[in-house]
Amino acid sequence: MTSPGETPHGNSVDDRPPELDPIFVHARREAVVILLVFFVCLTWSVGFYVVDGLQPPGAAAQSTPTVWGLPRWVFWGLLCPWLAVDVFTFWFCFYYMKNDDLDGGGSPQAEGEPGHE
Amino acid sequence: MNDLTMSSLSLEFFAPVGLFAQAGGGSNSAIITFAIYIVLVMVLAGLSHRLLQSKSFMSEYFLGSRSLGVWAFALTFAATSSSGGSFIGFPSLVYTHGWVVALWIGSYMVVPIFTMGLLGKRINQVARKTGAITIPDVLRDRFDSPGFGGLATVLIVFFMTFNLIAQFKGGSTILQTLLSDVPLFQDAQVLTSHALAGVPFFGAADAGYFLCLLVFTAAVVVYTAYGGFRAVVWTDVLQGVVMVAGVLIMLPMAIYLVGGMEKATKEIARMTPPKAVSLLIETDEPLASPLVLAKNSWLVSGGEGEARRVFRLAAEARIESGENTAEVKTEEDAPQHIPAIEITFPKHIAAARPTKFTSGGQVVSVRQKVVPEEQKEKVGYDGDGQAGVYMKGPGIDKSSADGFLPLGLAISFFFMWNFSGAGQPSNMVRLMAFKDSNTLRRAIFTVAIYYTLIYFPLVVIFMCAKVLLPGWETDSDRIMPEMAKALTMAMNMPWLAGLLVAAPFAAVMSTMDSFLLMISSALVRDVYQRNINPDAPEKTIKRLTYVVTVVVGLTAMLAAVSPPQFLQDIIVFTGSGLSTSFLAPVSLALYWPRFNRQGAIAGMLSGFLTHMLLYAVGYFESGGKIEPLQLFGFHPFMVGALASAVVSVVVALTTTPPPEHLVRKFFYRD
Repeated sequence: MTSPGETPHGNSVDDRPPELDPIFVHARREAVVILLVFFVCLTWSVGFYVVDGLQPPGAAAQSTPTVWGLPRWVFWGLLCPWLAVDVFTFWFCFYYMKNDDLDGGGSPQAEGEPGHE
Repeated sequence: MNDLTMSSLSLEFFAPVGLFAQAGGGSNSAIITFAIYIVLVMVLAGLSHRLLQSKSFMSEYFLGSRSLGVWAFALTFAATSSSGGSFIGFPSLVYTHGWVVALWIGSYMVVPIFTMGLLGKRINQVARKTGAITIPDVLRDRFDSPGFGGLATVLIVFFMTFNLIAQFKGGSTILQTLLSDVPLFQDAQVLTSHALAGVPFFGAADAGYFLCLLVFTAAVVVYTAYGGFRAVVWTDVLQGVVMVAGVLIMLPMAIYLVGGMEKATKEIARMTPPKAVSLLIETDEPLASPLVLAKNSWLVSGGEGEARRVFRLAAEARIESGENTAEVKTEEDAPQHIPAIEITFPKHIAAARPTKFTSGGQVVSVRQKVVPEEQKEKVGYDGDGQAGVYMKGPGIDKSSADGFLPLGLAISFFFMWNFSGAGQPSNMVRLMAFKDSNTLRRAIFTVAIYYTLIYFPLVVIFMCAKVLLPGWETDSDRIMPEMAKALTMAMNMPWLAGLLVAAPFAAVMSTMDSFLLMISSALVRDVYQRNINPDAPEKTIKRLTYVVTVVVGLTAMLAAVSPPQFLQDIIVFTGSGLSTSFLAPVSLALYWPRFNRQGAIAGMLSGFLTHMLLYAVGYFESGGKIEPLQLFGFHPFMVGALASAVVSVVVALTTTPPPEHLVRKFFYRD
């Protein structure tokens, strides 16, 4: 895969060294963060399920502790991370993700605006 | 026959635990709400049509001129993703399997940021660069390959047609439930039944269902065809608001009526699952007039010195005049073993009262025998009659000994909702339509909050339904409308039923209109305009677009006359099929400069074929059910998407690099 700063295959069509599209670079970096968050959530929720919410078919019934009327594994393994991801999404959208100009190549953001480098 | 149990039945109504089995009334207000809703939708279509006159037809009709703002973009994205499955199939799953379904849907916590953020900015940018209007357009231009665009079109039409049929069924079923108590509808049903009698193909259709299918098709096809993408988006906004309002109204009502979540969850922890049984139902004497034993009727047996037993019919049965044995109403044969469930939870058994049956104006007493099961190998996990099966995983599952959500499937579904959502062409099209990246940022957060307000509350509401409305395992796809009716009746607010039932109706409509437009755009833009007649005048394109949209809608309606079963299974099949085919090729096309046409075609075909193969093997192994083969315990989406990604990369690396002008165009500064 071509990384930032590399030239595409073969000779360039003009003499200037080609520069990667900044929207492509921003989008790729944001995609990596999104994938990381996904795997953290997967590990947390499914991990909690295995530890506290899964019992093999046919095993003797176990009692299920509750928190706020929800089974404990649902509260800690699903509701809490769900709310945490909402907070993360707020930060990601308004402070991390770039406000790129999709019709051109630059960024329309002013200095100091959230999300500006 | 001596070993059968037989008891005569008492004739009282079922009064389930503290509440209502037979919620009735309120439907007049419900039908008024529904009518207002349809009028609003039509007004929005009219406004969209006016806007259409002043803009470029193709770009406006199929993509809203790429000018969607935050609310329109967020709600059309969210509403399109929340299909009939979210408000029919999903509540049914919660009701049937218990709390474990919270994990089944749990990855929706990351779905907004994942499905919108992963590809959104890039696909929007690439579509703007090429002027693409559809996903096949994007793929064709990215690889300069009409053949690849054609392949993408074929797959979209194939899968979306299946999905559209399932959505038509869902919408019609909801409408039927909504209108079932309205005298006008009942009269119309009788007239339709007479009109259809003996008519080939339509004669076997349920008259009420057919009537609803007609109304539903007319509404959706008219506003979609007339208003195009803009109408679909505006109605999605309206439908999105209705959905979230419906859920937020139902949530406190349900929690209040069960006496708080702590109390409800403790009762659910004591519940034991019902048993599937077959009944032989008889009367003492042959009947003078036919007797209909409706589906979901309650039968209670036992008396002094005899254990009380409670059954609920899972199919409609009839005792014809001159006969005294009930038969299942089917076209070809009439088996006398009536499928039913037996309630096993003592509290529900004690509270049950049987349905009153009448024939020729006379109350009829019936008795039932439980037909002993033939000795056969146990296939699924039925909970073994244990308490607590609704509290933890894997959950009961009639078709799998591993239960509903074993570890492999839990991981699969966590992946699936995200990767599959990102790979849906209907979602990708919306990502091509937002105005600017600031709109994207705000919309992602809006959808995140929206899904938080929809999905987790739905789990809570339908766990409460287990307490409030026991015994709906016989017809669990109806639990949402039944719960809406029951809650509003219990709170003495029947007028609210219309709004609550409009929520699933809106969910189905918002998905159907989008899929209808996707198929239409694939045929008109990708097949006709780009391959058959690139110089077609706008007038011809316009006319063709209207005709194709109407024809596709009517074709899906005809296919839904004999409704397919397993709504949720069909939706999962088509959703996962589309994403196994599209996710890897589209993602690599957007993010990997070395990716080439050969890799994209091979990746798309391998994803599609792997998915179909796993479903085909599962179909034959299960004796005709939509149950895919789960290789190593994983859902076919996981296997198919992995195969597609690996083949895409391997083929791309072993074939010629893409032309330099394409790499420069899509990955480097102009």
